[in-house]
Amino acid sequence: MDFNLSREHEMLRDMVKEFANSELAPRALELDNKGEFFWEQVRRSGRLGLIGVINSKEYGGTAMGHLARMIIIEEMSRVYPPMGFFHQTGNLLMYAIETFGNDKQKKKYLPALCKGEKVSAFALTEASGGSDPANMQTEATLKGNDYVVNGRKSWITGVDPSDVVGFVAKTGDKFGAFIVEKGTPGLEVTRREETIGLRSLPVNEFALTNCRLPKENLIGEEGRGLVCALTTIATIGRTGAAGVALGIARGCYEIALKFAKERVLYGKPIAVLQAIQFMLADMNVEIEAARWLCYSTAWQLDQGKTSRDLAVDIARCKLYAVDVANRCAYKAVDIMGAYGLSPEYRVIGLLRDALELGVAAGSQEVMKITIGATITR
Amino acid sequence: MSNSGEIWVIGEQRQGKLEEVSLELLSKGATLSQRMGVTLSSVLLGEEVEEVARELVFHGAEKVYLLEDARLRYYQSEAYARLLAGIIKEHEPQIILIGATGIGKELAPKVAAKLRTGLTAHCIDLYVGEVDAAPHLIHVVPGWGGNLVMHIICPQRRPQVVTVKPGVLPKAVRDENRKGKIIRVKPDVRDEDFRRIETVEVVEEPSQGKSLESADVVVCGGWGMNALGDFSRVQELADILGGVVAGTRPAMDKGWVDEARMIGQSGRTVSPGLFVSLGASGAMHYTTGFMGSKVVLAVDQNPQAPIFQMADIGIVGDLREVIPCLIEELKKDA
Amino acid sequence: MGLEILVCIKQVPHPDHFSEIRLDAGSGRIIREGIPAIINPLDRNALEEGLRVKERFSGRVTVISMGPPQAQKALEEALAMGADRGILLCDEAFAGADTLATANALFYAIRRLGKFDLIYCGNETVDSGTAQVGPQLAELLDIPQVSGVQEVTFGDEKTLEVKRALEHGYMKVRLKLPALLCVTRDINKPRLSTVQSIMEVARKEMIIWKAKDIGAPPESIGLKGSPTCAAGVYEHKAGRRREMMQGSAEEKVRKAVARLKELGAI
Repeated sequence: MDFNLSREHEMLRDMVKEFANSELAPRALELDNKGEFFWEQVRRSGRLGLIGVINSKEYGGTAMGHLARMIIIEEMSRVYPPMGFFHQTGNLLMYAIETFGNDKQKKKYLPALCKGEKVSAFALTEASGGSDPANMQTEATLKGNDYVVNGRKSWITGVDPSDVVGFVAKTGDKFGAFIVEKGTPGLEVTRREETIGLRSLPVNEFALTNCRLPKENLIGEEGRGLVCALTTIATIGRTGAAGVALGIARGCYEIALKFAKERVLYGKPIAVLQAIQFMLADMNVEIEAARWLCYSTAWQLDQGKTSRDLAVDIARCKLYAVDVANRCAYKAVDIMGAYGLSPEYRVIGLLRDALELGVAAGSQEVMKITIGATITR
Repeated sequence: MSNSGEIWVIGEQRQGKLEEVSLELLSKGATLSQRMGVTLSSVLLGEEVEEVARELVFHGAEKVYLLEDARLRYYQSEAYARLLAGIIKEHEPQIILIGATGIGKELAPKVAAKLRTGLTAHCIDLYVGEVDAAPHLIHVVPGWGGNLVMHIICPQRRPQVVTVKPGVLPKAVRDENRKGKIIRVKPDVRDEDFRRIETVEVVEEPSQGKSLESADVVVCGGWGMNALGDFSRVQELADILGGVVAGTRPAMDKGWVDEARMIGQSGRTVSPGLFVSLGASGAMHYTTGFMGSKVVLAVDQNPQAPIFQMADIGIVGDLREVIPCLIEELKKDA
Repeated sequence: MGLEILVCIKQVPHPDHFSEIRLDAGSGRIIREGIPAIINPLDRNALEEGLRVKERFSGRVTVISMGPPQAQKALEEALAMGADRGILLCDEAFAGADTLATANALFYAIRRLGKFDLIYCGNETVDSGTAQVGPQLAELLDIPQVSGVQEVTFGDEKTLEVKRALEHGYMKVRLKLPALLCVTRDINKPRLSTVQSIMEVARKEMIIWKAKDIGAPPESIGLKGSPTCAAGVYEHKAGRRREMMQGSAEEKVRKAVARLKELGAI
């Protein structure tokens, strides 16, 4: 078994690392404080070919695959998690259209999204519970050539800056996945939720009130909406969240390690103290384990396996990586003492961001349900 | 080593003013010429620079080959290299010393390549030593990766050419009573020398304030100054000590000093009476920049920092505590 | 039209890891294995300049490097930035070269490549930092050259005007092509590679030449072709007092100031 990354993946990592260090790191604290969406960085990412990495070249993507995407998200999140998380939520609709949409839809939406000129969001969750999508209330009723949609979606990351939004609604006793463009009458982005982490990615509610969408806005066949959404969320959402977690974990580890080597107490760097070494060792082991869970899953997706085949792998890597990120962030804060609580030293911000990952793309408990149900079948 | 070849210092003048590095090379040249029992000469190119040639004599050159021409007023890449190579071939000096100035660093390799001979860059010392039981001129060069120093030799080809950075060696003492010969050489300047390359403009912008190389005290801040947020305390300390502010490369990258104030292998070299290093860990490519200082005081928060090997007095502590303390303590005397 | 642009690059140890470089007690050689390596930073500025010229006037950018097999990675990075083809001069016969022998190797390789219009080099490397190879290569090729280049302006088809740094000020030099320019970091900001350009690397030409492929006479290259050689590497004995002050911060400062007065430094 060859565990080495291909040369292309290595070069990709180096490039994203440099992009993150030179263009994301200097602005990270400021962007987090402002809580505003980072259009400039998104466009830059698009121009570098990083956003459309799982879209085909025909529609403006770079088609480098899921492992490439994992590496991109990891390296960005190491320095500025909201950017990594954007590559999670922003990729959802891009994947849904690529996989389930028709040629017309792909041509219409994908090129601008790949370039970062436009951004998108994907909405499944409602007040009825993201973990219980079958009980959603949002309804799309076919009237002539249009669907008329009524409902409210909540806790949707990135919908406020989005030019185009994908969402799932009931169509009779089945489900459909739809595309709605900003400015469509009946679409209104409402309250912004205050989030503790990933602050520059606005999380909002939006309402659809007698919103008319032409038939061509349906993604795939009617009745296939939930399949489209769950496949998308598993393949793109969960792997993305796992990538963000990997980046956060590594970021915390590197900052804490550097600090421990420099911080002098009792005449010596604290890195010589066993208590500190044990914490760093734990972080080291867990990060490495999480990395291989995540990379092997992404690699298998690149080999053509479906999210159905990889349901357990995907759930597993998200579950573990996110737990590791939270543990590493907490340990890093601990190691750094008072500095760990100071935003300037970044780890407290990384911890806040890590907290948001628990419920992203399916809660940690939902991951366990997926695994438990599958293995006991 | 050949027996009778002279030691040549290539003098550098700009706008009719002799660069200080030429005086530093003359002092080393004199030491070597005494040791080896050969003549120390100098070469000077320019226009109306006889006075500069005399300065070279006052600082120790026994002979000065003076090549004057209106077209040589400013450094001209092809003309200077060709004429120098020519006069070297004619007189066959065995050692050539060139200042590693912006111009010297371009001219020296051109000349060495023309002569297909050896060239060693930015030496910090030169002396006659033994290698494999034979006498050689040892070119001492700082090496990267810790406290390493390399000894380079040019065993066969002649002349052997070395460049030395300004501010490393002591200057020769001026003595108007020194007698030396100024040999006017009519340089064979050709139109062809300017066909492919020509200096069209030289703009000298005098730096504000005391130059780094002539300051008695230099206070240099490094990456560790991050803890204080800016360089204001570095300036304050420099003011109290009557010195100038400098920075390491990370400090320059951060925008706290500009390139003209950067100390290090690819930056400036200083040898003041007192060098104060604040929050710089002491990587070799930095420390070579101040090795010649008489006394070095280093402050850093990491007791393992290599800077403490290069310092006379070391203080380990939090910069945010130590620097204000230092300023207060020094104010007591002021 | 189309210009033939050559860029000479060198793979160097990452400066952040310089302190990890060790000396081999036996051979006295520097041990570089295991140290992360990068393209010499100024070489990226040189490459960026070459790419911009190609984008402006059309042409081809060839990157050349003399180095061990792992230097191929540096060439791949250069291809990922946008260079069209890479040439690695890799041969035991090239090893142990000083700057003249290195310039010779590059000279013979360039002679084999044929006609060129412009060569870009980084002004100096972060490891040896001699700034000599560029000027020496130009001399061997018998073309005009300028070091310390901060700005380049294209005049008519075959003429350039460059601005080069001096200690206090600058110089403007006019040159005719073919020419060699050694650039500083002021000249541009090197681009990042893109996903697309990274994926194209595998399809680009990567040539590996040995000494015989370029007809380099053995006495002109490598250790044999080096007029200078290393006679030894030593620990630098700084001869510093290395007195570490003790006590609280105030006590340390007080003692330090007292000591400095004793030494006549203040």
